[in-house]
Amino acid sequence: MPTTMTLNRILLVEDDPDIQAVAKLALEAVGGFTVNICSSGREALQMAPQFSPDLILLDVMMPGMDGPSTLKALRELATFPTVPVIFMTAKVQTHEVEGYKQLGAMDVISKPFDPMTLSSQINDIWLRHHAK
Amino acid sequence: MPSSPPQDIRAQLEGLRRTYAAQLEMRVEQIEDAWNQLLHNNWDPAILQTLHRMVHTLAGSGATFGFHYLSNVARTLEVLLGGVLEAGTAPIALQRIQIHTLLASLKQAVTHSEQMLPPPDLVDHVPSLDSPIYDENNRLIYLADDDLELAKDLALQISYFGYEIEIFSDCQLLIAATQENRPAAIISDIVFPNSPSAGIEMVNSLKQLSEAVTPPILFISVRDDLTARLEAARAGVKAFFTKPVNVPQLIDKLDELTTTRAQEPYRILIVDDEAYLATYYSLILQQAHMLAAVVTDPADLMVALDEFNPDLILMDVYMPNCTGMELATVIRQQESYVGIPIVFLSTETNIHKQLIAMSLGGDDFLTKPIEPEHLIMAVASRSRRSRTLRSLMTRDSLTGLLNHTKTKDQLLYEVLRAERQGTQVVFAMIDLDHFKSVNDSYGHAAGDRVLKSLSRLLQQRLRKTDTIGRYGGEEFAVILPDTDGEAALKILDDIRIKFSQVRQQAEDATFSSTFSCGIAVYPEFKDVSYLKMAADKALYRAKHQGRNQLVLASPLSENRLD
Repeated sequence: MPTTMTLNRILLVEDDPDIQAVAKLALEAVGGFTVNICSSGREALQMAPQFSPDLILLDVMMPGMDGPSTLKALRELATFPTVPVIFMTAKVQTHEVEGYKQLGAMDVISKPFDPMTLSSQINDIWLRHHAK
Repeated sequence: MPSSPPQDIRAQLEGLRRTYAAQLEMRVEQIEDAWNQLLHNNWDPAILQTLHRMVHTLAGSGATFGFHYLSNVARTLEVLLGGVLEAGTAPIALQRIQIHTLLASLKQAVTHSEQMLPPPDLVDHVPSLDSPIYDENNRLIYLADDDLELAKDLALQISYFGYEIEIFSDCQLLIAATQENRPAAIISDIVFPNSPSAGIEMVNSLKQLSEAVTPPILFISVRDDLTARLEAARAGVKAFFTKPVNVPQLIDKLDELTTTRAQEPYRILIVDDEAYLATYYSLILQQAHMLAAVVTDPADLMVALDEFNPDLILMDVYMPNCTGMELATVIRQQESYVGIPIVFLSTETNIHKQLIAMSLGGDDFLTKPIEPEHLIMAVASRSRRSRTLRSLMTRDSLTGLLNHTKTKDQLLYEVLRAERQGTQVVFAMIDLDHFKSVNDSYGHAAGDRVLKSLSRLLQQRLRKTDTIGRYGGEEFAVILPDTDGEAALKILDDIRIKFSQVRQQAEDATFSSTFSCGIAVYPEFKDVSYLKMAADKALYRAKHQGRNQLVLASPLSENRLD
């Protein structure tokens, strides 16, 4: 039932360990989510099926497999044709947001994020998306 | 939702920040190492990619932990390296210098704490208008001619236009004087008793003597042969006048070469939400002697436009809240800014999107990262054209003075300002005497030269803050802010006397010309229309009383006339 689904499990894909630490704090301690962290797109592809996240937070620019190609690969996995994805990237520009949405992202969060409000920002996006 | 108390989280965040800060120095060192490796490994693309990656990470994490300055520097460096990466070739020297500079800034950002390097507040970053860029105050002219009578007469004529002349009968004396005191220009004869090309020899020895640039040199000579002209040109002489010298032309040339009213620097308004980049551009433009103001928030744009009055707008395409294209449309919708060039700066390389931007009112599209020289050239050439166009709309084509409409606007502006500041403003109407008969007897070309000579004299004798307009055919208007009637009488009467002594040139005759002048002072006449009426009546009285004189309007006598 996607329309009534509550947000609980978040898979964070981010290569920078420093940002991982802040995001973990922001999502677990502030937001109360269950969080699993991957450092690359490839790792995310392995981790995703067993963790079965409600939402994936995906850094756009990563070495190797970047955000968009990770999303594409995830969509090709039988178990994840529809899991919502939010991109995270520096200096989001309007035309880019549209591009990412066309790729199938729910929304884009700009970096640096505020650790104190990241969770509520995600909740807002989630609610807005599921209210439709 | 189970969550920890906020204080607890803040403490943890602070802990993370401290750990991060402690590693910063090492991270920047690693980036430097990677750069050095790159320098010594033939631009190995793999190393470049790693370097780009490291800088990208630093930019992202730096901002996350509140090191905004560091992050901005890293972000700029990232864009620059991205460009090199994309080009697939070794960076050009200029890019290397930029990268070095940014690396140095990164190190600085680490060693000084962030508090000591606050992101500069750039919104009002308008450099002082008083910065001396040109040596425009040098009015000294050296004149070398063995015919002393002719030299004295020429010196007198030139001196009416604000130049200070020293006469030398001999080239060697002039050379010696140049070593003492550098003139703004040198006027010299070619033929002297000791040699038929002594002038040219002097120029050559001046060039050898001086380690600095020699002042511009103008020749006046009876020689008109090709050999003389060729030798002069080869010696780098700027102008060649045959005797008898056409004085107005000589003064035009002097003005041009000594840039009397020095070209005001171009004014560029930079609109970019990335303060660091905006500052970077403004520094580049300032080095090229332009004035740059920075707006980082589009909301401040309209105010900045009015206050800074730019020749050109340099604008980022993508900004938060609105795009550069939208801003361009808004700017273009206002009549006073229809003509201002807007140049977009963007990482956009898609030609289709560039064209859309142009159709919305952009004039040019520059792709980031841009080389400083390219930026300077693109901005300077567009500013030059913009200024010429604007001047065509606001200035009289013959004299270059403000036209009637602009003069009236300026009078209103100055009166309002005087009202605010409780100061006085002088408005003077100047009308050439018997100008119609000048045109009739000597022709319109001579008449035009009279108009130009008065315009030039006014420009040279009045202050930069004064306004001079060509009000009508032979009528000029002068606005002197912060001046009382007595001071105005003094300076304008001096100009009147000087002008009457200028030898006007016709085809085969010389003559002199005079003007009459009516002066009125605000707040004795308490608004613009009274002021204009009073100056007009005073001018009428000056004409009536015999011309070639000034009349200061007094409120009492005006009443009596009414």
